[in-house]
Amino acid sequence: MQPVLANLLSRRNLLRQSAAIPGMLGATAFLSQQSLAETVAGATPAGCHFAPRAKRVIHLFMNGGPFHGDLFDPKPALAKYAGQRPSGTDLVTERPTGGLLASPYRFQPCGESGVPVSELLPYLRRHIDDICVLRSVHADNPNHGPALLQMNNGTILPTRPSMGAWFLYGLGTENEDLPGYVVLCPGKPVRFSILWNSAFLPASCQGTYINHSSIDPEKMIPHLRNKKWNQQTQQRQLHLLRQLDAEVQRRNGQDQAFETRIRSMETAFRMQFRASDAFDLNQESQRTRDEYGKGHFANGCLLARRLVERGVRFVQVYYGNSQPWDTHSNHNETVPNLCRAIDQPIASLLADLKQRGLLEDTLIIWGGEFGRTPTSENGNGRDHNHHGFSMWLAGGGVRGGMTWGETDEFGFKAVQDRMHVHDVHATILHLLGLDHERLTYHQAGRDFRLTDVHGNVVQQILA
Amino acid sequence: MCCEQAVFQPRQVVHRVRNVIAIYCAVLFWGGVPGAMRAEEGQPTAASADIEFFEKKIRPLLAAKCYSCHSRRAKKLQGSLQVDSHAALLAGGDSGPAIVPGKPEQSLLIAAVQYAPDAQFEMPPQGKLADHEIAALTEWVRRGAPFPGGAALPAESPGKIDFTEARQFWSFVPVQKQSLPDLEQADWPRQRIDHFVLAAMERQGLRPSPEIARAELLRRVTFDLTGLPPTPAEVAAFVQDPSPRAYETVVERLLKSPHFGERWARVWLDLARYTDRTASWLYSTGQAHLYRDWVVQAMNEDMPYDKFVHRQLATDFMPETGPEDVPALGFLGLSPNYWKELQLPSEIIKVIVADEWEERIDAVSRTFLGLTVACARCHDHKFDAITMKDYYALAGVFASCRIKERPTIDEALYAPVRQALLEITKREASIAELKKKKPLPQAEIDALTAEIAAFRNDTPHFDTPLASAVVEESLHVERKGKTMQSGTKLVYQSQPQDLQLFIRGNPNRLGEVVPRRFLTVLSTTDQPVPFKTGSGRLELAQAITTDGAALASRVLVNRIWLAHFGRGLVTTPSNFGQSGQRPSHPKLLNDLAARFIAGGWSLKQLHREIVLSATYRQASRDDGSRSETDPDNIWLARMPRTRLSVEAWRDAMLAVSGDLDRTLGGPSVSLTDTANQRRTLYGTIHRREMSTMLLTHDFPDPTAHSPQRIATTTTLQGLYALNGPLVLARSAALARRLLAAQLTSDQQRIALAYELLFARRPTDRETQLGIEFLGETGSADRANVWSQYAHVLLASNEFLFVN
Repeated sequence: MQPVLANLLSRRNLLRQSAAIPGMLGATAFLSQQSLAETVAGATPAGCHFAPRAKRVIHLFMNGGPFHGDLFDPKPALAKYAGQRPSGTDLVTERPTGGLLASPYRFQPCGESGVPVSELLPYLRRHIDDICVLRSVHADNPNHGPALLQMNNGTILPTRPSMGAWFLYGLGTENEDLPGYVVLCPGKPVRFSILWNSAFLPASCQGTYINHSSIDPEKMIPHLRNKKWNQQTQQRQLHLLRQLDAEVQRRNGQDQAFETRIRSMETAFRMQFRASDAFDLNQESQRTRDEYGKGHFANGCLLARRLVERGVRFVQVYYGNSQPWDTHSNHNETVPNLCRAIDQPIASLLADLKQRGLLEDTLIIWGGEFGRTPTSENGNGRDHNHHGFSMWLAGGGVRGGMTWGETDEFGFKAVQDRMHVHDVHATILHLLGLDHERLTYHQAGRDFRLTDVHGNVVQQILA
Repeated sequence: MCCEQAVFQPRQVVHRVRNVIAIYCAVLFWGGVPGAMRAEEGQPTAASADIEFFEKKIRPLLAAKCYSCHSRRAKKLQGSLQVDSHAALLAGGDSGPAIVPGKPEQSLLIAAVQYAPDAQFEMPPQGKLADHEIAALTEWVRRGAPFPGGAALPAESPGKIDFTEARQFWSFVPVQKQSLPDLEQADWPRQRIDHFVLAAMERQGLRPSPEIARAELLRRVTFDLTGLPPTPAEVAAFVQDPSPRAYETVVERLLKSPHFGERWARVWLDLARYTDRTASWLYSTGQAHLYRDWVVQAMNEDMPYDKFVHRQLATDFMPETGPEDVPALGFLGLSPNYWKELQLPSEIIKVIVADEWEERIDAVSRTFLGLTVACARCHDHKFDAITMKDYYALAGVFASCRIKERPTIDEALYAPVRQALLEITKREASIAELKKKKPLPQAEIDALTAEIAAFRNDTPHFDTPLASAVVEESLHVERKGKTMQSGTKLVYQSQPQDLQLFIRGNPNRLGEVVPRRFLTVLSTTDQPVPFKTGSGRLELAQAITTDGAALASRVLVNRIWLAHFGRGLVTTPSNFGQSGQRPSHPKLLNDLAARFIAGGWSLKQLHREIVLSATYRQASRDDGSRSETDPDNIWLARMPRTRLSVEAWRDAMLAVSGDLDRTLGGPSVSLTDTANQRRTLYGTIHRREMSTMLLTHDFPDPTAHSPQRIATTTTLQGLYALNGPLVLARSAALARRLLAAQLTSDQQRIALAYELLFARRPTDRETQLGIEFLGETGSADRANVWSQYAHVLLASNEFLFVN
């Protein structure tokens, strides 16, 4: 903590802030949980339910939906039955598809574990022993909007908090000077800000969206600089703001919206100094920049590392604007380019985190909102497939070098050890030390959860 | 899900095309063992050689490649087509008969398997059949397509909608003035509203909050009705006014203020997806602000809402309005349009055009009727009694008008201007050519330039503003040449058109003709009368406020309620259908809506009743008991503490710092320009490049109808409050104003600041904190320190929130 911030983060202020922001344990690490529980109405006291394996999360989001059969789930039967539609493949997806379309990409067993990875990911292959491939994930809806919502918010309804908001609600942030939940996207994914909203959770839990098309911190973050007042002046101003606000609340009663907004200004104040540092990729050595490679996604990965290193709880890196992985046509022409853009950056991110000792308590999630069909759409494309697809986890408490679950012989449907998105969420929360059944928020007459009334922790993949 | 996709960006449009094409490329693939190869099904009329040919070559082929999608046993029948009997082939699917017996060249099925260049389909989609298989199918059709077996016909389409029953839905039934409920606390109500609100409270065991203090009430109602803060003088006058009708007087003053129209126009403009500018590559017309100003004026004049609706859709058809009212058509004239690459096949352009029509239907039906009619483009509405035919009956209206700029004077008077503009364009082209020459033919250029100036100066009405409007022209998307590759031409005709139903929403697959008419469920009969006048815009507009009056009035009343109370009686303000929410106070909504119509659709009367109510005058302060029982404040036992919209916040900063430019109307001004001191309503709204300030502060996307604003609190807003150029500029201006005031002490200056910003005096502690902050500074630093202080006050919650 910088000394200048000391008075903003006084115990008294923290108490008052945390009263308005239930469960923000990160912000209230100095306080007993009990005092928090006493001050908070309507919310179950949160915080870690057991020892966490991961303290922060990076979610690499392949928006549009990658085809698992090209990358992590080899299906030789596709070539054998190419053009045909054997029984068992008559599943409904978004659009009608035709016969099976073989993946032209070769797999080989990698690492000591021998888990097969596609030739499309030559760099990432080297890290397979740190990666747990979930091959049997499935979701409920084959359309982007609902599927994006389910993957991010646990349900296809646009009115529920995002998982990042749940993380912050449960754990708070480790760095009061930066937003606890940062969403990086060089553009806008479909559904945009609903994917990181806080819904009924405190507004301070929502993600802060940053378009990193340009990597100049002042362009990524509008109004980052004050051209008039220096740090001391701003600090005096915020101090006065708090005092005056306290006067008003003393007379008018407590108002959570007031607290949240003041906090947003205090965070913004600290962000001015910390963000220009945190978001400045030019502070990285040329060697590191080269290792991550070029492109928005590489920059996103490197930014994610800089942010988690500074205690940001959750960073999502969306691959790109709209839905670049949505290969309804010319699939095989597009996928190699997409893979090139992610391969080296992700491999470097894993190596970098490991080298810094961060991988052991940073959870990496990779995946899209769904997978794609093994059958062809109009001959050269692949439709959305929510029946079975791959994601992978690495780092914080995850057993590397393994696969979990299976899809059928064509990769259409998860058949063995099926893992619903709810199970993915339950497992992620578990790794963060949160019991998905106890991380609740009471509103509109009932307790709400990220996993609704579902979800099982997959113990087998825990290290 | 198509229903969820309200806006189609150009990228997505392409997607949609693919989607639609993919849907009708209903898949044929391998289907295992054919189910019916029994000789006893043999068709006696077919020659035995034909039967043998069929059984050997055709039935196995159909079974293997087609049945899984196109037979009785298909899990999901594609394109409504079965190819498992002669009768079914003749009956065909969504696209009509699959075969013409004896005429393979006229048979869709043959064209599809041939992957013919202009065929609608390529079947089977996963790969073309072998040549000998195609030849066999062709030969079979040539022989008359003999198909031994029963005459199985496709299953009937799903059940029809019972409109009589559907009309009983709560939002469709006629509105009716309600009898007043019995109350315990019968002395509380001031308006009819209050009886219903209190009855609901009492049922919930709640008691109303006490009345709010006068100064706070004035701040609330002034922001609510004008979007601006009250001046200290207004506060003092109201607080000291001994008249029992002091509040009524204030309300009347505010309702008459020209700023009333500015505030409430913005509410409407969110619904109307108003924009000043749009992406440079898209067609845009006219001066958008004329529509914005028209709405402001309509609000200020208290134009009856039914007329307000009629004029926005069809003022050009109304004898009582003249060309000066053409800006009203901006509701349609400023509709987003999508890029049409005319090099592409007309099949694709038709889809883009169809997407545009869908956008109009979406905006019109949600804005005026609270119905999601656009959901019925590809199928009957999943929840509401809205059929595809209803959709195409409305789409025909929008397919019969064209977005175009129109003069605000008589066309006859404007004709010479059009001629002059043509002449000017010609000369400008010539000048451009001449400028390429060397040496520069300056004399020629000068002569042409002079001619242009003469046209400009000498043509009467040359500077007449052109409004963003629509004209009566129907759009027909046609192939430019003979083949698909030849591209597309857009043909406009003066005759209106009825559309053929687009099978599954695809304009390349046409069904029956649907006459333009109003929605069946809102009409009195199941066969609504077709529109007869032009495109039918006026008849549509009139139907909304006659046949659709009950719904239209409920929707509108709820919108005004929402804007005053921060929560609608119906919390899905643009969805009053089955999937929308039910009203929290059904009788109240019914009563308000009925009296709204009976009272001549007067918006000002509605506002008056609301702000004069005891409900509205309650305090927002809560001892905790009410928020505990009713956290969402559904039962209105207190007023919510509301946050100012970004417009009101910025306007208030300008107002309290003494620099607000109160000019009404005119072209938009960029919001990034700190010298812009006009109300935020006049800030430039750009569909593609939204101002960062608006974007950061919950301003809705102007590309689509926005039912209501959602307030968020973000760190980026925090940065804006600390560093935003506007906030800094306003802080300096406020400091200047405070320092320039004829006051003797800093205490008095602080008091003035509190009166300006918060409509109250500071407490001793607040004054003391201010004095401590200002410290003992020399005159050189004084302006700076006061700016810093003013900045704190402008950034404060008390300034942003309204009790």
